[in-house]
Amino acid sequence: MPGVSAMTAALRGIRGEARRATRFFSVELLLLMPFLVFVGLFELYPILNMAFRSLFDQNGNFTLQNYINAFTKPQFQTAIRNSLLFATAASLVGGIGGTFVAALAVRLPVRWRNLLLSLYALPMTLSGLVVAFAFIVLLGRNGVLNLLIRRAFGLPPTVYFNLYDWPGIVMVYAFFQIPLMTLSMAAVFENLDPNLIEAARNLGAGPWQVWRHVVIPVLLPGFLAGMSIQFAGMMGAFGTVMALVGMAKNLLSLQIYSHASESTYNLPQAGALAMVLITITATGLALLSWGARRLARRRI
Amino acid sequence: MIRRVLFVVLVLYIVVPLLMPIIFSFSVFWQDILPQGFTLRWYEAILTRPANYEALLVSLTVALGAVLLNGMIAVPAAYALNRAGPGWGRRLREGAVILPLLFPPLVVGTALLQAFTRPPLALTGTIWMVIIAHAILGFPFMFRIVLASFQTIDERTLSEAAASLGATFWQRMRYVLIPNVMPGILSGALLVFAISMGEFEVTSMVAGFTAQTLPLRLFQQIRNDMRIASAITAFLIYVSFLSFALMTYLGARMRRLRAS
Repeated sequence: MPGVSAMTAALRGIRGEARRATRFFSVELLLLMPFLVFVGLFELYPILNMAFRSLFDQNGNFTLQNYINAFTKPQFQTAIRNSLLFATAASLVGGIGGTFVAALAVRLPVRWRNLLLSLYALPMTLSGLVVAFAFIVLLGRNGVLNLLIRRAFGLPPTVYFNLYDWPGIVMVYAFFQIPLMTLSMAAVFENLDPNLIEAARNLGAGPWQVWRHVVIPVLLPGFLAGMSIQFAGMMGAFGTVMALVGMAKNLLSLQIYSHASESTYNLPQAGALAMVLITITATGLALLSWGARRLARRRI
Repeated sequence: MIRRVLFVVLVLYIVVPLLMPIIFSFSVFWQDILPQGFTLRWYEAILTRPANYEALLVSLTVALGAVLLNGMIAVPAAYALNRAGPGWGRRLREGAVILPLLFPPLVVGTALLQAFTRPPLALTGTIWMVIIAHAILGFPFMFRIVLASFQTIDERTLSEAAASLGATFWQRMRYVLIPNVMPGILSGALLVFAISMGEFEVTSMVAGFTAQTLPLRLFQQIRNDMRIASAITAFLIYVSFLSFALMTYLGARMRRLRAS
């Protein structure tokens, strides 16, 4: 009878599925446990705890004052504005610079390319202090390059590249951001099929059309993903700025740091500012991924 | 020709800034364009001054701790999530990538600082907190490298083949999987080690006075004594450079193994 055999087959299928599921849950879930416990206990719980505590003042009374402060106190308003501008500027410099380096890297002979990409992986592990120190020696007020240029053109000592203002700070962070973008874009460029470009050319597309319809659509998702990493990283960055200018520049990240561990100690306020930072970062990431998805849809 | 020039410029862009602290650390003094004299005195100061030497030991302990912790957490997680299906498995894999973007070191530090101040887990200000914080920061790197290794060796097919020859789960692990992903695990370990050795941001928030790492010393010395700062900076550059040299070697060996 076909009905019965179909039923037993279905039953066997279900049983097999269930057996596979239980086997999965016994071994794989067990192996996943350390990760789940660790992330839960040391990442999610502390952040939820911080979010909860940001709703109380330092005496333990419920209040929204920390959040009201974050958006009304001039010092925090400036910090949020500066952070948005700084993160956007540094991400653009890193994003565009890194894309150019990657575009060049994939055109190099393999040996050179590997050398370049290994070299550009190096800043990933470098301390923000190391890079700050390196640039102070190179471009500080009496840094080697400033001295060289002053001597070469006979300029007075009042003329120097100012490392300790926003353009200088962005330039130092570019030392992290450009290599980071280079690494992600190199992978994207390698996926760009030269046959595709060849085909477009054979069909009579001009260089602009090739870029517009072939190259950019392939690169854009990777570029936007790279920009997400850049923006998120720059919103939270503070080590190198602190080594360069201390608290002289007003950034959201520096405000959080100083409220969490320096003289202006106020943990609930630091927590509220951190929640604002997470929200800004999340919004930025969501916008970038929304943009990527929209573009992907339009391509089809 | 233009390519060659650009290549040189791009190499110099990374190399020149990193050479500055190294040259500085070997010179007696450097006030003008060219440095003067040669000395190892500033390196000696790392080893002979108790505060510096202790910071070096703390840094090494923390870095090893973060590597071991990640070995216990990230490696099994990568194995499990590589096998997990397209549903929640994919969501967890994506989560592991997005989490560190949403919660940068600064946020992790601010949160950890206030979460573990009371017994039974009064960890804030102890070396344990620093190890945990560094393990959190290193996790995504270790996880991604090991996950990629499991994917490139096609773990499932390999496991099935081994199982069909009668190998138990532990035998598969011991003789088939672990040896095959070992280069990946080692690369991840080196990366976590190098990141931990240089980490300053979270450390300065959660460390307190008992767990002063080398970068924390460096931060003080940048204001006090640039020459000692230069030796610490140069040392941290050597650590990063050696880690990457070893990783490149491991990567090349892995490719050669796969080819043969």
